[in-house]
Amino acid sequence: MNDASSEAALRVDDLGALLARVALGDQPAFATLYRRSAAHLYAIALRMVRERAIAEEILQEAFVSVWHHAAAYDAAKSQPMTWLAAIVRHRALDQLRRREIDTVPLEVGDDRRLAWDVPADAPTPVELLLAGADARAVRDCVDTLDAGPKQAIALAFFHGLSHRELAAHMREPLGTVKSWVRRGLERLRRCLESASPPP
Amino acid sequence: MKLSTPQRRERLDRLAAEYALGTSPVRVRRRLEAIARRDRVVARALSDWERRLAGFAEAVPPMTPAPRVWQGIVGRLGLDDLDAPRKDPWWQRLGVWQSLATASLAVIALIGVLEWRRAPPAPPATLVVVLAGSDAKPALIATALRGERHLTVKRVGNATPEQGKVYELWALPEAGPPQPLGVIPPGNIARVPFDHPADERLSNIPSLAVSVEPPGGSPTGKPTGPVLFSGSVERMY
Repeated sequence: MNDASSEAALRVDDLGALLARVALGDQPAFATLYRRSAAHLYAIALRMVRERAIAEEILQEAFVSVWHHAAAYDAAKSQPMTWLAAIVRHRALDQLRRREIDTVPLEVGDDRRLAWDVPADAPTPVELLLAGADARAVRDCVDTLDAGPKQAIALAFFHGLSHRELAAHMREPLGTVKSWVRRGLERLRRCLESASPPP
Repeated sequence: MKLSTPQRRERLDRLAAEYALGTSPVRVRRRLEAIARRDRVVARALSDWERRLAGFAEAVPPMTPAPRVWQGIVGRLGLDDLDAPRKDPWWQRLGVWQSLATASLAVIALIGVLEWRRAPPAPPATLVVVLAGSDAKPALIATALRGERHLTVKRVGNATPEQGKVYELWALPEAGPPQPLGVIPPGNIARVPFDHPADERLSNIPSLAVSVEPPGGSPTGKPTGPVLFSGSVERMY
């Protein structure tokens, strides 16, 4: 980090502006983008795949993809972190679904036991769901969900569990879990739309 | 019927929600992604749901990934490693080891091995000996590239022989007496010349030692002064 353009990149706070420069092949901007976002994205990936080596691989793939496709980022459609997190989450999901065949055994029990390489005192998925909903409206809406749907959505979002895995983990019939997820999401959408009209 | 027609809006919304949440089967996800590339209504439904759920992820406590992740990224893309401007071979960056003076030799050797394993392009095959005193603090680090006819000895502590004395380097074989390798010339980085490539000369030598000797080295061919430092020969090839 020693030339003028990297100095400038360091001053750019806005991830969106960094992404725009990455789209132009600006390497210092890319390095700054990584520094600003990698810890958050890595934590998301690690919670889902639960193994450091795989989470690291996902992060690498995601950033290689960002370097090549930063021009596809559309500031009008999403926040930069939302876009980056979606790239990481979907790569993690691909990885999890690929592994589903030689299934990593899922323990029945509380949320924490899903998180092998995540610190033991880390928040549980449901805690994250409530805490992460940082916009007041989202938190209020999450609060309106019943316990079952709330936990199913939290486990699916933070650990990438499929319907089948949710059913096994929560010890509920597959149909019940599917309907919890569907109704939970629908309720969230209604609640959010009534709280703030879509943009 | 197209997924984006008004009649199908409810179904599209449900599919998009499960896509963003991650519970859609792989085949459905692939199909939605393909459709979204050419259908803006579908693309919009997916990004709306990503946005609705995005806030959840904000609370995940950040965890800093290992430096090798960034190095892997720049390696794959063939970019300059902007975060690591040092271009020296790693064994010349031993300054960092000074701050690890209290770490055990095993840990230090491991760091060396990890650094060697991950650094692209791989440094040439190398011999490394971390020579430490009885307090386990590294004092000298001896290295040689494969085929080189000398050992490079770098001082990492403040060890210097007292006035009128020198440090002499010895090979300690499995069996038999120490074999003299030569006096270590003064200076922070010194060379001890060999007649043969260092890796061949030391191929059966598990460790090295340093003793204090009169100028010119031990007159007897055996260590005469105290042995101050020793360390095992690590072969990184």
